[in-house]
Amino acid sequence: MLGDIINPYHLQIVSFILINIILGISIYITLSSGQLSLGNAGFMGIGAYTSALLTINFDLPIFLGIILGAVVAGVFGILIGIPALRLSGVYLAIATLGFGEVIRVIFVNWDSITQGSIGLSGIPHLGRELFKTFKLTGFDPDMLGLKNNQFIYLLVVLILLLVNILLVWFFIRQNKSRVGRAFAAIKMDEKAAESMGINITYYKVLSFTQGAILAGFAGALYAHVMAYISPADFAYHRAIDILIFSIFGGSELIWGAIFGATFMTILPEALRFISDYRYMIYGVILIAMMAFRPQGIIDVSLLKWFKRKLKLKRRGSLGIGTKKYN
Amino acid sequence: MLLEQIINGITLGSIYAIVALGFTLVFGVLGIINMAHGEIFMIGAFIGVLITSVLGLPLWIAFIAAIGVTVILGYMLERIALRPLRGKQGVSHLAPLISTIGVSILLENLSHHIFGAGNHPFRHSFAQIQFQIGSITVYLVQILIFVISITLMVVLSYWLSKTKAGKALRATAENLETASLLGVNTKRTITTTVILASALGGIAGILVGMAFNSVNPQMGLSMGLKGLAIIILGGMGNVKGAMAGGLLLGLAETMIVAYGDSGYRDAVAFITIIFILLLRPQGIFGKNTAEAGR
Repeated sequence: MLGDIINPYHLQIVSFILINIILGISIYITLSSGQLSLGNAGFMGIGAYTSALLTINFDLPIFLGIILGAVVAGVFGILIGIPALRLSGVYLAIATLGFGEVIRVIFVNWDSITQGSIGLSGIPHLGRELFKTFKLTGFDPDMLGLKNNQFIYLLVVLILLLVNILLVWFFIRQNKSRVGRAFAAIKMDEKAAESMGINITYYKVLSFTQGAILAGFAGALYAHVMAYISPADFAYHRAIDILIFSIFGGSELIWGAIFGATFMTILPEALRFISDYRYMIYGVILIAMMAFRPQGIIDVSLLKWFKRKLKLKRRGSLGIGTKKYN
Repeated sequence: MLLEQIINGITLGSIYAIVALGFTLVFGVLGIINMAHGEIFMIGAFIGVLITSVLGLPLWIAFIAAIGVTVILGYMLERIALRPLRGKQGVSHLAPLISTIGVSILLENLSHHIFGAGNHPFRHSFAQIQFQIGSITVYLVQILIFVISITLMVVLSYWLSKTKAGKALRATAENLETASLLGVNTKRTITTTVILASALGGIAGILVGMAFNSVNPQMGLSMGLKGLAIIILGGMGNVKGAMAGGLLLGLAETMIVAYGDSGYRDAVAFITIIFILLLRPQGIFGKNTAEAGR
């Protein structure tokens, strides 16, 4: 039954999707206050290396490592976010891109700790460590009709899913709160927002730091799901990938980032049969998107249309609806 | 030793300067960061390899071919990735950045597919000619690169400041709408700018192939990022600034490799731009305006 449906390869892809969704949200949240950061790959690297090094060298529990990874990335976020207030638009994009490159070069060259471009291996795997604890309590995956391998990957997916649901819930709440409205106001017009009494410095640094924390968090999760990281994982290409999640899906709404991350993770897997050409197709998609639908696939009007459709359907099934208006 | 390093630095810096000129022209006129510029540069280098090493034709044909191909690429970039976005309602100012990123991914993987991932040597007897002046060795290629880049710069500044087309370009850079009201064919001017920038990238590509004797599909990315760093260093849209910034970065990188830790060579550019952006966002040669960095 369950054992026949579950395929570790598919589970692995699902866990990548879930990590990428966190990354997508991380750039969405900085974009929601009108700042474009291309440094999220760097923050992700900081989170990943912090957590990996702490768990390898000091035998810290994985959960503590992941949290510390996010915290350290957040501290860097504040350190970069405050001086970056002076910049906006493409200037901010380039400065953060530069930050990401500097971080990568440091990872490559700090041999004694990061093992340079070879990368860190033997990072404790989230699923396997949890599995050990489960084993201690006398649990056996056979009881669910699962093999050990399937169970491990299933655990990872479940944990990531839980984390994702919590994060999405949190940020949807935040968007409707004072903070979210302040972000939106700053994005629309900084000067007008300031004259309405919004503390621009505070909210801009807040959104930048939130993005950094999320990216670091996703990076730490990535390290413990992959069990191997190298500086190349956090290079320019990753920064572009993260940007594309939000831009392709739609940068106005959190659903855009989620959709973009999901679609852009599945696409290369689905296009595997023409794998030689898949990045070229990727490039063409970007160009076409910007020409025909620059706001991204999911925007406010699409969401409204969708909601109206849904409402009409519900009305129809309840026996009210079109007749009522005749 | 020091003198040799300075010559190496100037050679590298001249190439950087040509790449940065392409960036700065497009930014000056369109206000767009052309992320595909590095890849166009890389294609230029590959055309050079193809003509001289594979077909065995002389160098000047390689130059003409590289310029021809990059001009076509520049035109296509303008038509496919930039023009559809211009003047459209509700397009964020980041859209052109992203569509040029799309072009760069496409070109990088295309050349990866055609030429393979490895390094291609630029076999040409010309690259081996060298002089012995006192205790230092100077390659003819280094002199050639320096002369070509200086010539390009002089011609470009003359063209920009004296000719009608150059004036039209500067007017468009100043204000697109006003320029078009005053009778400047802004559409054509923009196309010319992108094509010119791409041709500069193609020339720089061949020069890099000659100077460093290796060409690979990944070189566009690192060169593109450095070009970005240089235009920030010299001031966005500033032609002289791009030149000086290029030379400065070339010298700094060479000195780091010679007297410091070569591993940090690629970080020099970015540490510099982070500091420049924070201390003097308008760049070393930029004018001080309230809008700098915004």
